[in-house]
Formats: sequence, C-alpha cells, structure tokens
Amino acid sequence: MPRPGDSLVSGNRDSQRMTDVVLQGLTKKFGAVSAVRNLTCTMTPGVTGFLGPNGAGKTTTLRMLLGLVRPTAGTATVGGRRYADLPQPRRVVGALLDATGFHPGRTARQHLLISAEQSGLPAARVAVALEQVDLTKDADRRVRGYSLGMRQRLGLATALLGDPEVLVLDEPGNGLDPAGLAWLRGLLRDFGADGRTVIVSSHVLAEVQQIADHVVILGEGTLRHDGPLAGLPGLEAEFLRLTGGVA
Amino acid sequence: MRAEFRKLTTARSTWLLLGIAQLIVVAGVSGLMLRRDDPASDAAQRGAIAHVGLVALFGLLIGILTVAGEYRHRTITDTFLARPRRSSVILSKAVISAAAGVVFGLLASVTALVADAVWLAAKGSSIDLANGVLWKTVAGGIGWNVAFAVIGVGVGALITNLSAAVASALAWIALVEGVVGELVGGGARWLPFALGQALVGLPGAADRPPVWQAGLVLTAYAMIFVLAGNAVTGRRDIT
Repeated sequence: MPRPGDSLVSGNRDSQRMTDVVLQGLTKKFGAVSAVRNLTCTMTPGVTGFLGPNGAGKTTTLRMLLGLVRPTAGTATVGGRRYADLPQPRRVVGALLDATGFHPGRTARQHLLISAEQSGLPAARVAVALEQVDLTKDADRRVRGYSLGMRQRLGLATALLGDPEVLVLDEPGNGLDPAGLAWLRGLLRDFGADGRTVIVSSHVLAEVQQIADHVVILGEGTLRHDGPLAGLPGLEAEFLRLTGGVA
Repeated sequence: MRAEFRKLTTARSTWLLLGIAQLIVVAGVSGLMLRRDDPASDAAQRGAIAHVGLVALFGLLIGILTVAGEYRHRTITDTFLARPRRSSVILSKAVISAAAGVVFGLLASVTALVADAVWLAAKGSSIDLANGVLWKTVAGGIGWNVAFAVIGVGVGALITNLSAAVASALAWIALVEGVVGELVGGGARWLPFALGQALVGLPGAADRPPVWQAGLVLTAYAMIFVLAGNAVTGRRDIT
C-alpha cells in the first residue's frame, strides 16, 4: 500500500527501505563525558524496545537520530537519509520526546495547528490526530490545565500528525493510566503490524515485553544487546545482567 | 511563516506588551506636554512623538520571546523537528518580529498622535498634521521598533535562557550602554540605543549622526545579531 513519502526515496537507496533506521558508529561526547559510544545497529519495521538504565544514552541517541543533537562521530539515518535531509521529515518520522514541550497558554488545537503549519502538513490532520488520541473534547482547553497523561497524549498526537512511517517515542507511557497504557499498547502494536518502524524507549520492561518484536539494550553508551525479544528468555534478568544491575 | 505568526498571536504576552506600550506612550506624551509651556513648538512636538521610539524596548522583548520563549517552554524541539534546517526558522522569526515591530510602531504612533492632539486641544492649541516634523519622528520611531525587534531575535538565539536574555537586554539599555559609551567616548553615538534616539531626532549631543546614517548602522547591528544568533543556533544541541 503506498504511503505518503514512499516516492521520496523510492528505489535509489540500495536495499534500504525508507522504514529502516540505521545507526552507524554513532558517538556523542558532551565535554569529557561519552554519552554514546560507537553505536551501530539497524531497526526495521515492527516494534523495537529501546532499553537501558538511566544515563545509558537512550535519549541522546534518539535526539541524534532526530537531528536535535549533533553526533561527535558516526551517522543516524532513516531510509538512508539523515533526518535533516528528509524533504518532509514529519511525514517520515513522528517523534515524542518529552511531554513538557508545550506553551501552557495555548490550547491543544493551537499547538497542533502550529505544528502542522510549520511541518507543511494540512490543517485537516489536526482533527484526525486529536481523535486518534481521544483529546477532541478537551482540544480547546489551555494545556496549563492538562494532566500529565493528557500532555502525553497531546505529544503523541503531534507525533502522529504526519501519519509517519517511523515512530520514535521516548517513555511514551509516562503518566498514562491503566486504560491509557492499554490503548497505547494497541496503537503501537497496530503500527508495528502495519509495517511501520516503532522505536520505544522505556523503563517498564513488562510493558515492552508485551509489545516489542525486537530489543536493543544500551549500557553506559554502548550496545549491549540487539536481537529479537523471543531470543531473550527472561527480559528482566537479561536486562540486569547486560547492564550490570543487580539481579 | 504562518506558524510563527500564530505563535506570536496565541501568546498572551504579545498582547500584554502591546497594551503596556500604549500606556507608556500616553504617560510619556502627557508628562512632556504638562511640563512644556510651548507645546506646539517643533521641539515639543518632536519630543512628544519620539515616545513611539521608546516602544522599541517592547519590540526588543518580542524578538527575544520568539526565540528564547521557545527554549523556555521547550517548544523549540517541535519547531526543529518540523524544520530541521534551523536557518529558515531564525529567518522566519526575524521577518515576523520585524512585522511585529511595524505593528508596535504604528499603533504607538496613533496613540502618541491622539494623546498629543488631546493635550494640544486642552491647552487651547491644535495639532498640525501638515508639520513634517511629526511624520519624520513617526517614521524614525517605527524604524527603531523594527530594528530592535530584529536585534531581539539575535539576542534570543544567542542567549536562550529567557530570563537571562531579557535581563541582559534591559541591563544594556539601562546601564551598560552608558558605561560602554564612557569608555569609547565619541564612538558612543554609534551604540544601538543612541542610534535609535538619533532616528527620532531627539535632542541631545550635537554630534548625533544624521538619520540615514543611524538607520544604516542600526540595520547593520540587526543583521549582525541575526547572523551571529543563526550561527550559534546551527551548532546547538537541543537536549
């Protein structure tokens, strides 16, 4: 099924599909601190759990992938292109990084409209995204009065605006209630099953276990594991062993 | 560009600043007219309408807010995700801020002219709209607003901490430019606030540069600030 953006990279990227996320020798130093060290891995359609303890370099890696942080060395590409080189990045990659990136005085609808306008997306996408995250009835309230869960859903709506092929979500379950978590799980599974690439960072291993096809584990900025979830007998025990935590 | 316009008009701070600016203009014009016993003279009229130029302080704040305000609320992440070519973001902000400078300057001009007319009428005189001094002062005041709004974008991009950027800008105008002026002597007339004053033809030191030179140098300041802000923005990590 053709999707928006397919034609952008059709055929001219060797064997790489536009849904493939490739990290190659990705490295980031903040002063003397190495946040990410020589990270190489490929993430393909389906749900990838992007795991690691606090400070393992997950967020820095995702921000490098999205062109927000400049790698010290190496590359991160989506469909063979750096994020900044994608002609319409929002149609290819949707991202949720932190749920605090909202002006408290604006309404959800205003936020999404601004986001759509600056992304070159039609304003009609706003209503669709609001409906997708079930925020339609609160869309004209100022974000100041939103709960953490509602902000998280607004962040997801922003990520979904461009109907992207690749979703990058940093701790998307934060602040969601049990019903919200179940809903999110369904959404991500559907996206993965639909042939899209979903990258979810999370600390909640039980959540990841329910949705992920593939698991990437980081520890101290380096790759500790990259393989199918099915290959990890006990995710928590393996996670702790690989990242040096106490089991 | 449309998105930048919407950001500006959906922030209440924009309207608040626009409102306060009018109060300052009315107060400034009134204070001057109360004091002068020759309110209809060219000097008094120029002094009254020159308050339009002081609104440039608000233009400066608007410019700073368009950039540092986005860092403050972390909406800058969404902005750069939408437009990873950051230069185009800074350019849009400079254009929108310049437009805001025009609006601030125009509205302040109307307010100043109305306040001026009311005071003249109260003193048994009337405003002479055919007097070129009025319109030259209005034009200079609007130019000052535009230049400072664009400079604000550069300041906000260089100092992304909103409070630090606002404090630096206000400190420069209230204090630092004066001190630097002492240090550089005759060069003081080429500093930004002095150039703004030259634009509205405010009386003061006799060696103020002519309006066209002041306008030119102020434009250069605006370009340098935006270029410097743009260079720093391109390299900044958004963490």
